[in-house]
Amino acid sequence: MLKNYLIIAWRIALQRKLFTLINLLCISLTLLVLLVLTALLENTFQPTGVEGKSPRMLQILTMLSYNDERGNSRHSPLGYKVITDYIKPLPSAELVAAVSLPESTTVYQAERTTDLLMRRADAAYWQILDFEVLSGRVPSAEDVATGRFVLVLNQSTAKQLFGQQPAVGQKLNVGGQQFEVIGVVADVLQLNSFADMWAPVSTYPSSDYQHQMWGNFTALILTRDAANFTAIKQELATAIVDFQFDDPAMWSDVRIWADTKLDIFARMLLQNERQADSGAATLLMIISALMLLFMLLPALNLVNLNTGRMLERSTEIGVRKAFGASRQQLIWQFLVENLLLCTVGGLLGLVLAAAALEVIESSGVIPYLQVNINFTVFALGMLISIIFGLLSGIIPAWRTAKLDPVHALKGARR
Amino acid sequence: MIKLSAISKNYHTDKVQTRALDNINLQVDAGEFVSIMGPSGCGKSTLLNIIGLLDRPASGQIEINGQLLGNYSDSQVAKLRNQTFGFIFQSFHLINELRVIDNVELPLLYRKMPATERRAKAKAALEKVGLTARMEHFPNQLSGGQQQRVAIARAMVGEPQILLADEPTGNLDSQMGAEVMSQLLALNQAGTTIVMVTHNEQEAKHSNRIVRVFDGQLVQ
Ligand SMILES: Nc1ncnc2c1ncn2[C@@H]1O[C@H](COP(=O)(O)OP(=O)(O)O)[C@@H](O)[C@H]1O
Ligand SMILES: [Mg+2]
Repeated sequence: MLKNYLIIAWRIALQRKLFTLINLLCISLTLLVLLVLTALLENTFQPTGVEGKSPRMLQILTMLSYNDERGNSRHSPLGYKVITDYIKPLPSAELVAAVSLPESTTVYQAERTTDLLMRRADAAYWQILDFEVLSGRVPSAEDVATGRFVLVLNQSTAKQLFGQQPAVGQKLNVGGQQFEVIGVVADVLQLNSFADMWAPVSTYPSSDYQHQMWGNFTALILTRDAANFTAIKQELATAIVDFQFDDPAMWSDVRIWADTKLDIFARMLLQNERQADSGAATLLMIISALMLLFMLLPALNLVNLNTGRMLERSTEIGVRKAFGASRQQLIWQFLVENLLLCTVGGLLGLVLAAAALEVIESSGVIPYLQVNINFTVFALGMLISIIFGLLSGIIPAWRTAKLDPVHALKGARR
Repeated sequence: MIKLSAISKNYHTDKVQTRALDNINLQVDAGEFVSIMGPSGCGKSTLLNIIGLLDRPASGQIEINGQLLGNYSDSQVAKLRNQTFGFIFQSFHLINELRVIDNVELPLLYRKMPATERRAKAKAALEKVGLTARMEHFPNQLSGGQQQRVAIARAMVGEPQILLADEPTGNLDSQMGAEVMSQLLALNQAGTTIVMVTHNEQEAKHSNRIVRVFDGQLVQ
């Protein structure tokens, strides 16, 4: 029976090429958008590679200082002193890294200058993040402690500055300071790791940064286990109760949250800077709702198309009923047909999505992006197609299957 | 075999009520060949469709093989249509997306039957109407007469007790019509009960009995 359903589904698909095409495009384009989005979101929230330790990592991107009585409020990255005084001592933290946000810096070479993004980081940064070292090495604890002018480049930058020559061992004037390139790492695009080059935090021209409460730093906190997240958050909350501002008259309160990647985005988007709950659950719900809504429109369109198509096939329905098909059997037939169509559309969408991601990656629209269609995304894609198939198939199937055979044979249009 | 008692049927369209059938009493016995005749629009098709359970009467009772059809469920009615009746329509109603052999096999799909047996029965039915050579063709590659013979094969493949034919020769020229008639007669000779709607007095003469309908009522 199933074989017969499939055969007629196939024949009808061939017979009604335009309809089939519209149907397939409808599904595969929707899926394409959803899958590309999901892959990008996954890449952001659950990265593999350089920030692969994210599942047991908390981050502090910003702090909010305020004094409501005076109407003062300042939302900024952390000062280095905040990290050394309040975050590094947290008992449940296995490792805490301080790293500056990428700063635009000029590199001077004999015949040209180049503007590049540079981060300055402490030694723990290189332990928490798993950079893929292509040649040379990354800074050691000793490099950072003694303030050596050593520099790490990413692959693209090394090529940009030195062409085919090996970068390691080269001398480079960065913002007026003389550095030696000690390593080249692979290109990456993730929240804490993207930059063109890296130097030890101790190479700042002035040591003022060590005494600043506000600065350009973010903190990465590595724990043994995600189970420690709550402990860390509590310890942090306790630690900053006695927060010492430079100017206590101007500033009275501070809010610092140790967040997962998802939390960071949620907090940013939902403006939850003052409360412990980042709103991640809400964000996930909003994303799911948007995705569903995005699917609903083409699904409704398909319901319409399908209803029209089935009424066109009312003779077939009438004949089948006249020769003994029950309502249930007809509903099954149409559902199988629709599921088949949607599954094919889904597979097509997956192929399109993989191709689109490939194009996005290689086009460089988003520099250094690396995303893959993994099993989760694939399963999600197929699930979406099946939901599509059921959604857009069941209503028309039910409506047509309950037609009286005479009406169906007369080509009822209602 | 079939007994209709006090069958009525109305159609409502745009506030106009048509009484398509009015208090019909009719009995068809096993092995009979009954012709239904009457002017256009008098209710012949409606009557045939009600006999074949393709349509429901507004009132009245239907008895098939001594069984009164009360509140039969959809699947019970489907089973009756499948096992008791075979239909032949004026405009053939073959499924154009299916090959001839698949069209003929269709009624057997709704029985529990192995695929090889279905195929064998469909082939045998096509052989009887002389169209084995056209098995793999699609319906629109055949002439009208050939299509109606495929439809006869389809109606017969499940060996139903009763064959219902609504103007089976209406869309055919006289030669093709004669061929179709001779096949129906052969089937009747072999024991199948036939109820046929026709406009053609000549064809009606072949049957055992002529039932005349006028304005939704039987006339003597
Ligand atoms: N689906 C329908 N809706 C409204 N009126 C109908 C419908 N089918 C048939 N009729 C009307 O019922 C009457 C009988 O129709 P029908 O049984 O098809 O006649 P015949 O087959 O004798 O030509 C006609 O007046 C026809 O217009
Ligand atoms: Mg008629």
